[in-house]
Amino acid sequence: MTLKISSLEVGYGKRQVVKGANLTVEKGELIGLLGSNGSGKSTLIKTIAGINSQTKGTITWNGDTDLTRLARKDLARIVAYVPQSIGLSFGLDIREAVLLGRTPYFGTRPRDEDWAHVDAAMERMGLDELGDRAVTELSGGQGQRVLIARALAQDPQILLLDEPTSALDIRYQWQTLEVARDVTRKNNVAAVIAIHDLNQAARFTDRVVFLQDGVVIAEGRPAEVYSPELIKRVYGVDVELSTHKGFVQVHPLSEHGHAQLGLQPATSEPVRAPRLAEQREYATA
Amino acid sequence: MSSVHSDPLHPVAPSGRRRSTDLYTSQKLAIALGFAAVVITALIGIRIGTSGATLLDVLQTFWSKISGTVPTDRATLLKHNVIWELRLPRVLLAILGGAALAVAGVLFQGLLRNPLVSPYTLGIAPAAAFGASLAIVLFGATAGSAAISLVIGALLFSFLNTALVLSLASTRNLHATTLILVGIALSQLFGALTACIQYFAEDEVLAAIVRWTWGSVNNSAWYQVLALFVLLALAFPYIRFRSSALNAIAFAGDDSAKSLGVAVSQVRLQTIAIAATLTAVTIAFTGIIGFVGLVAPHIARLVVGANHRFLIAFSAIIGALLLVIADAVGRLVINPGVIPVGIIDALVGAPIFLYLILTRQKAIE
Repeated sequence: MTLKISSLEVGYGKRQVVKGANLTVEKGELIGLLGSNGSGKSTLIKTIAGINSQTKGTITWNGDTDLTRLARKDLARIVAYVPQSIGLSFGLDIREAVLLGRTPYFGTRPRDEDWAHVDAAMERMGLDELGDRAVTELSGGQGQRVLIARALAQDPQILLLDEPTSALDIRYQWQTLEVARDVTRKNNVAAVIAIHDLNQAARFTDRVVFLQDGVVIAEGRPAEVYSPELIKRVYGVDVELSTHKGFVQVHPLSEHGHAQLGLQPATSEPVRAPRLAEQREYATA
Repeated sequence: MSSVHSDPLHPVAPSGRRRSTDLYTSQKLAIALGFAAVVITALIGIRIGTSGATLLDVLQTFWSKISGTVPTDRATLLKHNVIWELRLPRVLLAILGGAALAVAGVLFQGLLRNPLVSPYTLGIAPAAAFGASLAIVLFGATAGSAAISLVIGALLFSFLNTALVLSLASTRNLHATTLILVGIALSQLFGALTACIQYFAEDEVLAAIVRWTWGSVNNSAWYQVLALFVLLALAFPYIRFRSSALNAIAFAGDDSAKSLGVAVSQVRLQTIAIAATLTAVTIAFTGIIGFVGLVAPHIARLVVGANHRFLIAFSAIIGALLLVIADAVGRLVINPGVIPVGIIDALVGAPIFLYLILTRQKAIE
């Protein structure tokens, strides 16, 4: 099963943001969308999720399903979207926040089947013992797990993550990316993640796609596609590359390069995120 | 990482842990108890007044109206008429008006994703006040809010304001924050127009306008009760049907709600139209009652949680209770005089609200 995007154009008013993008994603594959701010990463993800509707081109799933023509509810049964942060105005408890993922499936009253999906998604994300807590009480990393659990409860075949690590500290960035990769593999979904950090993308994604001004300019496995010339062209930063534990690593040559590339200062030996079981103990203490 | 369910289509509930269910027993119990409280306070409210009335009188009045029998005793007939023509519509208008404003408050707070908004955020109250003021100036509607010209004036400008907001929202695809700002601009505009009328008005007209803005159920009439009842009866099934979509908009935001299969623009426009209509019709009958639409949803959230499936009904109950109690207190304090319900509502409600905020700060935050 393949997600196939062909000649996709998306704009806001007269401004074209995505200009003829082509992309394929296989089931069980995690694709990293890279590019500087304003390159069209979020727009592309929101378009696949059906949030942006003013589009040209096609987005197909499994060859014959044109996602741009599906009714909103039908699309939501195939595609799940994880935003940057949970950003709540009022506090639902975690169980009800995950239940939002079942919105495309039930009318007014959730069925037993919907609750079963909620339980499964919560256990999958290590949230099952926190169910009665208000979402507003959670840490950034826990909040991100709630959002991913919500997406899993949606029972999707395509998972889209829009810079899910941008509001998190390094420990939880690492954990969220581990979870995204794990979910992609074990739930066998086609996944696309917009991400800033080139080194994290190299470590966690199967392939990367570089966007510049709404155009795909490079695509492939990180080790094959990363080059000082490409990174200079996209970000305007001089870098050199190395390999650490089998992953390509980017090292900026200038003082401000880390910030410009969205890199964490120490990427060769990242801080280990607490395992979900450890967090459960901490959270319920 | 905890264990993984290999088949996401047929998940199995976690073994040995509490399984999620759809019981919501405490919420359902709260709604049942709240409904009973509304009935009891209404019966008490009907009894309050200078001519006095026992519970038996109230029940006898109901029975005589249902059975069509007319009391032969003149004093009983008078008492029945006072209950039927004055007290019952008054209490029912307080119940339905309080419920309507509270439901509108919940809807606006959820749709605009802002706990500080009220039914008046989009400028409906200043628009209604301008319409009422204009009617008072043009037609001398000093008899009070029952005067039909005053009701029509308030309704007309409320709907004009709402139509303006909705047409801007639909044609310009406005987001929640922009809608709130549009409401602020319209509030200022209509507020300034009303101030112009007040500035040039005679003392009597000025007094009538100010009296209207206090908000009261003193001039209740059966047609008002019927109109609000029909509106609420029509609105409730739709709102309940949309409760999961409202949850998605309120708790996930526009983008995520769309990705969850919700037609956000359509739901927002339809629901704002309903909330605005409930508000406009209520304040056309009662004048501006400012506190209940903001506070009732917050009190309700503390009791039944934030899920709109239960929150809407329980907010309606809290709104009804707040206004019925405020009206009863307003009639008791300077008996036989009456303090308008809008004033008492804020005087009684604000300390209760403060107490809840301070004692349950965590739950609110």
